[in-house]
Amino acid sequence: MSKGRVLVIDDEYGIRSGVHQILEMEGFEVEEAETGKEALEALERNGFDIALIDYRLPDTDGLSLLHLIRSRKLDIMTCMITAYANIETAISATRQGIDFFLPKPFSPEDLIGVIDTLIRHKIIKREAEELRKAHEASLLALASEKSQTHSLVRSLRDAVLVVNREGEVVLANPAMATILRKDTAMLLRQPVMEVLAAEPFSPVRQALGSSNPEAALLEIEIGEQQFMVSRTPFHSDSGEILGQILTFSDISEVRRLALEKSRFIRTMIHEFRSPLGAIKGILEVVLDKSLGDSLPPYLPLIDRAEKRIDGLVELIGNLLSLSRIEMEGRKKWNPEPIDASPIIDEVVELYRERARVRNLKVQVSLEMGLPRVCIPAEDLRTILSNLVGNAIKYNRDGGKVEITALRTDGKVRIDVGDTGWGIQPQNLPHIFDEFFREKRKETKEIEGNGLGLAIVKRLVERSSGKIEVQSTEGVGSTFSVFLSIGSPS
Amino acid sequence: MTRMKKILFVDDDRDFLKSQSIFFRGRGYEVLTAENGEEALQCLQTETPDIIFLDLMMEHFDSGFSLSHQIRQQERLKRIPLIMLSGVASATGRRFDQSQEELRKWSKVDAFVDKPVTGKQLLKIVEEKLGTASQPKQDGR
Repeated sequence: MSKGRVLVIDDEYGIRSGVHQILEMEGFEVEEAETGKEALEALERNGFDIALIDYRLPDTDGLSLLHLIRSRKLDIMTCMITAYANIETAISATRQGIDFFLPKPFSPEDLIGVIDTLIRHKIIKREAEELRKAHEASLLALASEKSQTHSLVRSLRDAVLVVNREGEVVLANPAMATILRKDTAMLLRQPVMEVLAAEPFSPVRQALGSSNPEAALLEIEIGEQQFMVSRTPFHSDSGEILGQILTFSDISEVRRLALEKSRFIRTMIHEFRSPLGAIKGILEVVLDKSLGDSLPPYLPLIDRAEKRIDGLVELIGNLLSLSRIEMEGRKKWNPEPIDASPIIDEVVELYRERARVRNLKVQVSLEMGLPRVCIPAEDLRTILSNLVGNAIKYNRDGGKVEITALRTDGKVRIDVGDTGWGIQPQNLPHIFDEFFREKRKETKEIEGNGLGLAIVKRLVERSSGKIEVQSTEGVGSTFSVFLSIGSPS
Repeated sequence: MTRMKKILFVDDDRDFLKSQSIFFRGRGYEVLTAENGEEALQCLQTETPDIIFLDLMMEHFDSGFSLSHQIRQQERLKRIPLIMLSGVASATGRRFDQSQEELRKWSKVDAFVDKPVTGKQLLKIVEEKLGTASQPKQDGR
């Protein structure tokens, strides 16, 4: 087997045949060409590994011939041989893509050395190309059912789009196809810039077009959805960039929560500013002596200021509770089962005086032998305080507050009922929302910040409980808390 | 005797209405109050105040804006200075979708003032808008 095929292009017979003989003895296959025209014909006819090109040819010069060879994209190593070697020829030949430069005269050893080197280069180049093709093939294999990685990527919730060095899509998972509203198969081998041609993707296209090889993170909005897009280059073992991986993570929910939080903060600011404004106004009137020099006319105002301050203190307490619940929510929740009855009695005792002032009848009926419930005692105390407190606050003078606890359907049910103003049907769905308060003439005078029931609901639910409300406007409301029964320890 | 200048306060905070009434009455103004939009419109059927202070009333969403929009549609009330008081910074309330400028145009509010606000601050606005600097104060302090 020959070591390689060489074409010698020289108009000098001596050189041609000399080179021919030397290389043939070294085990190469050699052909000769006298002119540029002959050389091109030979190159078209046969595949050569190496072309030795004389700088001066009868019909053309070596550089023009080299240019023609390169423009035909022939896979061939080239070496220029010339007696007129000077720096300029060398530079322009190198610019045109000559692989080697051999000045005349040269010894047989020089020639053989050069040809051997060129052949090695050629082999290395070919191997590199084969390796690249293999990588490419493995990328495409990713997209086919054959690869295990493929099924893994398919099942990802995040959308994945893999692009090769040529900017073609080599992999798109179903999540990606959903975003693009296309079939995964339709995306394969498509230019990524066309696949992502829609306006919302313009930042992604920009990131792909950027020459910065570093990974990039960006955010885009597609319709109602927000996505965090990451672009990560992926490398071969040798560190060469083979393409880009794009992942699209839906962050709409995170965004929604952030928006909700900022709304909460705005409402909170309002809840602080209103009482502060009222207190400030009252103090101003007092300091201004708008009602004269004696104190008594101011007393009702000062009393109001004090109540507003109490309200602020309560608001701060409630906000702290909410934030504590949120922080603790991340921990594992496994409360010790407790006996609810003594806590119910305790809370009712605390509120007896307030009920008496309003001339309210408080009735407690607890089923005997009530099983233990899974909830922290402190949480149950807060829940009941809020519910009983509300039942008193929103009641009519001379009305009734009824507290019952019984076992039902594998749960303990605690009801707190009142005979107050009730809740308007349209407000029932919002009654547990933070800061929500009914705006009604009947309840306008009642102090409150709209956080109590929000706290109650969270406390109930974090112990896997449930809260329900039944209400008839003008008749009264009953809040029912369902708590899990603790397994007997 | 010159006619007493009339101020209408619309705010759902009764304590705020009370203190402002005392403060401005003490300075020789007639003060009208309304706790909600309905009351305000009712009051405006018979009264023509010289200036109106309107709370944005976040609990009622944008009722402050709707109310001022309704007031502005009445020929008799068109040119009364209308000042929006707001407990929310930047005064957009829950209408996050509209810019303050758009709301201002739509509701034809003359100015926004952030709460908490003092009577003295409001007095300055009143004097500026009505050109009534140094109204006599009743107890002469």
